[in-house]
Amino acid sequence: MEGLFFNVDSGFLEGIVRGYKAGILTQSQYASLGQCETLEDFRTQLSASDYGNFLANEPSPLSTSTIADKATKVLVDQFNYLRSNSVQPLSKFFDYITYAYMIDNVILLITGTLHERDTHELLQRCHPLGVFDTMPALCVATNVEELYQSVLVETALAPYFRDCLSASDLDDLNIEIVRNTVYKAYLEDFYHFCTSLGSPTSDVMHRILSFEADRRTINITINSFGTELTKEQRAKLFPTIGRLFPEGNNQLAKSDDIDQVRQVCENISEYRSFFDNTSSQLGGGNESSAASELEDHFFTTEVHLNKQAFMQQFQYGVFYSYMKLKEQEIRNLTWIAECIAQDARDRMQDFIPIF
Amino acid sequence: MSGTGPRENIFATRMALTNTKLRLKGAQTGHSLLAKKRDALTTRFRAILKKVDEAKRKMGRVMQLASFSMAEVTYATGDISYLVQEQAKSATFRVKAKQENVSGVVLPAFEVDRVPDFNLTGLGRGGQQVIKAREVYAKAIETLVELASLQTAFTILDEVIRATNRRVNAIEHVIIPRLENTIKYVLSELDEMDREEFFRLKKVQGKKKRDLAARESARAAEEADNVALEATIDDEGGGDLLSSKDEDVIF
Amino acid sequence: MSSTSFKDRNLLAVIGDEDSITGLLLAGIGHVNEHQRKNFLVVDAKTQVSTIEAAFQDFTERRDIAILLINQHIAEKIRPTVDKYQQAFPALLEIPAKDFPYDPEKDSVLKRVQKMFGE
Repeated sequence: MEGLFFNVDSGFLEGIVRGYKAGILTQSQYASLGQCETLEDFRTQLSASDYGNFLANEPSPLSTSTIADKATKVLVDQFNYLRSNSVQPLSKFFDYITYAYMIDNVILLITGTLHERDTHELLQRCHPLGVFDTMPALCVATNVEELYQSVLVETALAPYFRDCLSASDLDDLNIEIVRNTVYKAYLEDFYHFCTSLGSPTSDVMHRILSFEADRRTINITINSFGTELTKEQRAKLFPTIGRLFPEGNNQLAKSDDIDQVRQVCENISEYRSFFDNTSSQLGGGNESSAASELEDHFFTTEVHLNKQAFMQQFQYGVFYSYMKLKEQEIRNLTWIAECIAQDARDRMQDFIPIF
Repeated sequence: MSGTGPRENIFATRMALTNTKLRLKGAQTGHSLLAKKRDALTTRFRAILKKVDEAKRKMGRVMQLASFSMAEVTYATGDISYLVQEQAKSATFRVKAKQENVSGVVLPAFEVDRVPDFNLTGLGRGGQQVIKAREVYAKAIETLVELASLQTAFTILDEVIRATNRRVNAIEHVIIPRLENTIKYVLSELDEMDREEFFRLKKVQGKKKRDLAARESARAAEEADNVALEATIDDEGGGDLLSSKDEDVIF
Repeated sequence: MSSTSFKDRNLLAVIGDEDSITGLLLAGIGHVNEHQRKNFLVVDAKTQVSTIEAAFQDFTERRDIAILLINQHIAEKIRPTVDKYQQAFPALLEIPAKDFPYDPEKDSVLKRVQKMFGE
C-alpha cells in the first residue's frame, strides 16, 4: 500500500535525494584527494566532484574550517531545497531532523548567555539548520525556567525541555546534562514519530535511531567514568529506546569500568565486534585508546546503517540517511584537509569511506 | 708620564699612595672574582641556550601533535571551540615558581601545578577524543612551561651576564688603569718632591759653604789687616815678631 | 627586574587562533577573574592589530601571569612590540599554530641568541 501512493507526494524528492546521493564522494575520489600536496590541490580536486567550484571564491590560503563551512553550506542548501518542496508528513520528518541542530544551538546560546557574550557573535556560530525565529530572544534568559516560559514554549523543542526544568541553576556541568536530557527526549520523540509513519519508514528509521540511542548510552557511560556524574544522573540520560534498552541500560547504569560495558555489548551480536580487537589491549592505561577505536566503530556502523537505508524504496529514511552520510563526508573532507595541512599523511586513511 | 690618562684627584702624599695601592689590590681581586663569576654564568648560559634550542624544536613537534588531536576532536564531536571558551572559569592548569641559585643569581623555574578537573564536554559523543586531546595538550603545555623556565633563565642570565661583563670591563679598562695612573702620579710627584728637596738641600749647602767661605775670607782679611796694623805698629814701635803669627802661606 | 613578585604569578595567558586556544583551554589554562577579565584572546582574520597590541600590553602588565603564549603568526603582526619586549616576567613564548608550523628564524628570543653569538 505504501508504495502505491508514496510517489504522489514524495516521489520527486526521493528521486532528488537519490540523485544527490550519487554525488557522494567515492573511494577513488578520496584516493585522489589523499594525493594532494596542498590545500590548493585539494580545492582543484574537489572542483571535479559534485561540489563543483564551491570554494572558488575563497581567498588563499584556505583553512580547513573554511572548507568545512562551505561544504556544510552546500549541504544546507540541498536540505532547504528538499524541505521547501515537501508536504506533510515528510515536512514534519524534516522538521525532526532539524531539531537535533536546534538543541545544539539552544545549548550554545544558553552557554553564551551565561557568560554575557555578544548575541550577534553567538548567532553566527549557530548551525544553520537549527536556526529558528525566536532564537535571539534566548539570550535574555538566565535560568531554564525562564528560558522555557519565555522562548522555548513557542518552539517545537518545548516538550523536550519540560523534563529538565528541575535543574534550576545553569552551570557548566548542568548544561551538558541538560543537553543530553533534551537530546534523549528528542531521540525518543523522533522514534515514536517514525512509528506513527508506519512501515517501511519506521523499520528503517528504528534501526538507525536505535543504534544512535545505543551509541549515546555507551558513550555517556564510558565518558562519565571518573567524573562527578552520579550513577542515578547517568541513568536518567539514557534514551529509553534502542537495542540495549531496558536490560542493557540498567547494567550500564551500574557499571564502573569499560569491561562491564563490554559485557553488556556482548549480548547484542552487532555490537560484539566493537570490542573484539580492542579487548586484547584493554586495561587501566589503555582505556582511552580502546574507547577512541570504539568511536571509529560507531562511525563505521552508522555509515553502514545509513547506506542500508538506501536499499529500500518508498520510505523517508533516505532523507535522514543522506543527511548523516553527507555529514560524515564533510567530516572526512575536513579530516583529509586537516591531514594535508598538518602534514600527517600516515593518519590520512583514518576516515570512514562511504561508497 | 704621570700627566697621561685619567687619575684620581688626590694629594700626592705617602698616605694617599698606600691607600691607592690598597684600592688597586682590591680592584684586582674583584676583577678576578667577577671574571670567574662571568665564566660560571656563561657556562650555564650556554648550557641553557642549547636546551632552549632543543626545547623550541621539541615544542614544534608536540604542538603539531596537539593540534592534530584537536583535529580528531573536531572529527568526532564537531566544533566545540566556543563551548570550551565559554566554560573557562578558573584555571586548573597553573604554574608554580621556584628558585634556583647559580653563582648568586636567582633563577626562577616554573613547575606545573595542575588540579584535575572534570567537565562533561562531549558526554554524548566524542568524549574520549576530548579527554585524549586534553591530555595531549596538557603534555604540550608542560613542554611549554619547561621552555618558559629556560627562556626566563635565559633572559635573566643574559641580563646578569651583561651587567657582570660591564663591571669586569669597567674594572679592567677604567678603574685599574686609573688607580695605576694615580699611583704612578703619586710616585712621580713624590720623586719630584724628593728631587726638589735634594736640590734645595744642595742649594742650601752651597749657600752655606759660600757664606762660610765669605765669612772666612772676611776674617782672613781682617786678620791680615790686623797683622799689617801690628806690623806697622811693630815697625813703628818695634813690636814683638813672635807675638804675631804669619799668615799661612797656601801654595 | 620584577623578580620580587614572581611568586604570585601562576597563570598562563594566550593570544592565539581559535584552534590553539581551544586546545589550551581544554587542558585547563582558561581563567576568568572576578572582573570578567579573561586570560586569553582569540584572534581571527577580522581581529584588529590594535586589539592584539592592547591584549599583549594588558597581559604583559598583569601581575598574575607567569607565561604568555602567542601564536607565531600573530606575533608576526605585532613583531616590533614583541621584539622590544625584554622582560623576564611574564615569559613570552612563541608557539606554532595549526596552519603555521614553527619557524625558529622568526622567534624573537632565538634571534637574540643568534645576535649574541654573531653567527
